[in-house]
Amino acid sequence: MIIDRRKVLAGAGALAIHPRVARAQTHVIKVGVPMPLSGPAALYGQPALKGAEMFAAEVNASGGVLGRRIDILARDSKASADEAVRVARELILKENVHFLVGTMTSAEGPAVSTIAKEEKVILIAPIPKTDQLTAPRNLHPYVFRTGANTTIEGRSSAEIMAKWTNVRKVATIVHDYAYGQDVAKAFVEHLKRLRPDIEVVDQQWPKLGEADYTPFINAQLARKPDAVFSGMWGGYFVTWVKQARPLGYFETLENRIINPAEVGSIEVTRTMGADYPFGIWSNTYDIAHYDGQSEAHKKYIERVSAFTKQDPPSTWPITTYVAMQFLTEAIKKANSTDSDKVSKALLGLTIEAPFGRQTLREKDHQADRGQFYGRMVKDARGGPNAVMSEVRYVDPKPFMD
Amino acid sequence: MRRQTVTGVVVSAALFVIAATVPVLGSRYYTFVATDIVIFAMLATSLNLLVGLSGLVSFGHAAYFGVGAYVCGILMKAGGVPFLAAWLLGGVGGALLAGVFGYFCVRLTRVYFSMLTLAFAQIVWAVCFKWNDVTGGEQGYPDVPMPDLAFLDWLPWIGSLRSGDKFYFVVLMLATVSMLAMRRIANSSFGRILTCIRDNLERTQFIGIDVRRHQLVVFTIAGGFAGLAGGLFGIFNRGVFPDFCYWPKSAEVLIMTILGGMYSFWGPSIGAAVLIILNQYIVSRTEYWPLVLGAIMLALLFAFPRGIAGAVGAAWRSRDRFNA
Amino acid sequence: MLELLDSGFVLGQLRSGVTTAIFLFLIASGLSLIFGVLRIINFAHGSLYMIGAYIAWDTTARLPGYGVSFWASVLVAACVVAVLGAVVERCLLRFVYRREEHYQLLFTYALVLIFSDAAKILWGTEAHSVSRPHGLAGSVELGGVRFPTYELVILAIGSMVVIVLWLSLNRTGYGRIIRAAALDREMLGALGTDVSSLYTTMFMAASFLAGLSGALITPIRSVVPGMDVEIIVDAFIVVVIGGLGSLWGTLLGSLVYGMVLAFGIVIFPRFSIFAAFALMALVLIIRPWGLLGRPIR
Repeated sequence: MIIDRRKVLAGAGALAIHPRVARAQTHVIKVGVPMPLSGPAALYGQPALKGAEMFAAEVNASGGVLGRRIDILARDSKASADEAVRVARELILKENVHFLVGTMTSAEGPAVSTIAKEEKVILIAPIPKTDQLTAPRNLHPYVFRTGANTTIEGRSSAEIMAKWTNVRKVATIVHDYAYGQDVAKAFVEHLKRLRPDIEVVDQQWPKLGEADYTPFINAQLARKPDAVFSGMWGGYFVTWVKQARPLGYFETLENRIINPAEVGSIEVTRTMGADYPFGIWSNTYDIAHYDGQSEAHKKYIERVSAFTKQDPPSTWPITTYVAMQFLTEAIKKANSTDSDKVSKALLGLTIEAPFGRQTLREKDHQADRGQFYGRMVKDARGGPNAVMSEVRYVDPKPFMD
Repeated sequence: MRRQTVTGVVVSAALFVIAATVPVLGSRYYTFVATDIVIFAMLATSLNLLVGLSGLVSFGHAAYFGVGAYVCGILMKAGGVPFLAAWLLGGVGGALLAGVFGYFCVRLTRVYFSMLTLAFAQIVWAVCFKWNDVTGGEQGYPDVPMPDLAFLDWLPWIGSLRSGDKFYFVVLMLATVSMLAMRRIANSSFGRILTCIRDNLERTQFIGIDVRRHQLVVFTIAGGFAGLAGGLFGIFNRGVFPDFCYWPKSAEVLIMTILGGMYSFWGPSIGAAVLIILNQYIVSRTEYWPLVLGAIMLALLFAFPRGIAGAVGAAWRSRDRFNA
Repeated sequence: MLELLDSGFVLGQLRSGVTTAIFLFLIASGLSLIFGVLRIINFAHGSLYMIGAYIAWDTTARLPGYGVSFWASVLVAACVVAVLGAVVERCLLRFVYRREEHYQLLFTYALVLIFSDAAKILWGTEAHSVSRPHGLAGSVELGGVRFPTYELVILAIGSMVVIVLWLSLNRTGYGRIIRAAALDREMLGALGTDVSSLYTTMFMAASFLAGLSGALITPIRSVVPGMDVEIIVDAFIVVVIGGLGSLWGTLLGSLVYGMVLAFGIVIFPRFSIFAAFALMALVLIIRPWGLLGRPIR
């Protein structure tokens, strides 16, 4: 009796909660996007979300995937691991999303990955860089990363600095947390391999969220390095530069500084205008114009510009856009939205991203995603903001392992 | 007095029955929200042993919650310790830490007490944030194993449930036992002495009661129950993160306690339920949740100065008066 | 550690410690004043600071002629925030004065949530930056150490604020009333002082200081979401170290905090995350009412 009643109640409950469950599952492909949309990380979470939204709008306009529409369900993960888990579960259990594309911080990524494994829902992480996410002991069939990781980023930077022949003494300054520690380690190890003559003379570790970098800048200058690797990002980079410049930091180092962490992106150059430390090297996920740009990329930039009403557009939409490309290609290849089938289809999958060919490696579910690197200089056309010159896409394939 | 006890038992039993029927609804989502609520109800009630019962406003309760979560999670994942033992040790960890910190905190009064609890909690957070080898540092300690619940399989109805529902029952059982224990403490003579201290410290001192020792004991007990709640949450959340100890988590629990009603035993639980459901509802609808949540909080604080439970209780009593 | 023998290095860290201290003082003094007189721990004080920073950025970007416009926008920001503070006090805070401390704290925490979202709606989530004002972008060399000129100006402004605050608290009739209110507000009310308008004025003054510090900090820090809660924790630490409600205590607390940060990284390079809280705990254990505070009943 009890069992019967339970079944009836359960059925009634499910109907009451999800009146469109049956329809939704056949006609719409739901993609949940947990992303920081408030607080400091929203700086990148907001534009990153736009990529997935634009992709869905484009695909839906051309008839969808397997004839089905894509719905993007965005949630604020508040840049906190337990909140990211909470919204991921809500998306899976209540909204019945088929896939998750999202998370940003190095804590959110692995946290939601656990949920993905348990619920057998694929998570494609477009941004978190921690190597832990796809490390062998944490790997499972439902987690993939389409963004660069700390190994790629640190080694790419080392490849560039290794060519600076007049450099002997190197220093680093990164925030003292997972991303900073890992990227600095990857950089230092790879640089020592490439240039055994280089000596690391100083490492500064300001805490994440540091508001006052002057003690660290002072201490670093006292060790007299020839070049610096910096892992500052976003608003922290802005603060760091503002405080370092009057102390003669950039003059003393003659701009022999490489600072990845996307501070070469339009977001940062636009924020800083003429205060940007012209001459340093940096990287970015995407760039509006560069020599040798493909037609496909130019078209993509135009579309992002139109979609976000920004010219030049943000460089962050590409992160989730590429993730969505991988996802839909895999759905088409599997001819299904079944997690296991799509997961198999993703292994070794190659797509044509706007900036070039990308492959999700079968062995570690990691895309061979490089970034654009270049020297930040004054705009030759007279614009107020720094632009990237000597732009190159650093392909990580030779040094990913 | 007697009537109060009867009402208390009836309310407790009713709440338990309502909570136990959640899986019957058949939605895994409801079970997930209910698990979240039960764990936070337990945490908020443990905080209320300090805030409501003893007048000790702790701004750092999350520290003991977090430590319990780490101890339980690490023991289960790295040490292979069985769930129940790891869970209890998580509580012991919370209590031990609270005992040490409490020794210093209870020497201070009012706002200074609050500030010291905050400072200690932030130190705990910093340790968890930096101790990469043990806590996993800033990236946290993901993939805490789910306890083996096969021992429930022989039970007639529960045995046939999904694992999420089974875990919910385990949480509900353990939380109920903990809540009953806390209720027992609150209603004991020890609890009454604490309330005396809250209402008039000097007078309680005059009648020869060692105020500090009583406060230290209740601080330790509250830390222990917070640790137990943390152990459950670490498993439920499938990972333990330094955020568990960070001050916004302490603020969150304090909000639950005060919004729900700190002068009632069930108030904090009501607060936990209201806040978690509100959060789920608002976050899934708008990214502007801080604005909406902040406005609702202001409204609730204005409308229910003694918390939701306080308002309900007042309405209940006035109904009695009219009927009598 | 060897750097500690180098006088240039020590002077450089000293300079950075003092600059940090001045900003902390500007922010924390308002927090301390409000606590001293209104007996409220105003969690939203950091939000007022953040709004000051956003308004300064916004006005600077709109005004022509950069050199003048920066200082004009600082003034605009401070005044707008002062008015905002007065409105908040009149319309909301005054209804909670009689409530318990934790209740008031939750109340101001709700305000933090609302203000942070309001700032996001008004100014977006992008980071903003304000250039150093004209003529103050460089630095001067004193004793082998580079002193950024803007920080020297901040030093001057900070000292001025200290003097003005001290004079108005100790050498004016209004200051006497304020000090009396800190001791016994019921008695003051009974003696016929308009306590209610005194509170509004105090809250306005404290908000002015928050807005001012937010605006003045824009040339050396980025304007980003989240800067509100980041600063409020630091401000709490300073006020607790120095002594709640004490002006000189707040100044001393700021200096101690600044110096611990500046020299701590040489002695314990990777423990700056602990330094402030450990210091706060230590002070509370040894001298709960702060270095220069008075015990409150």
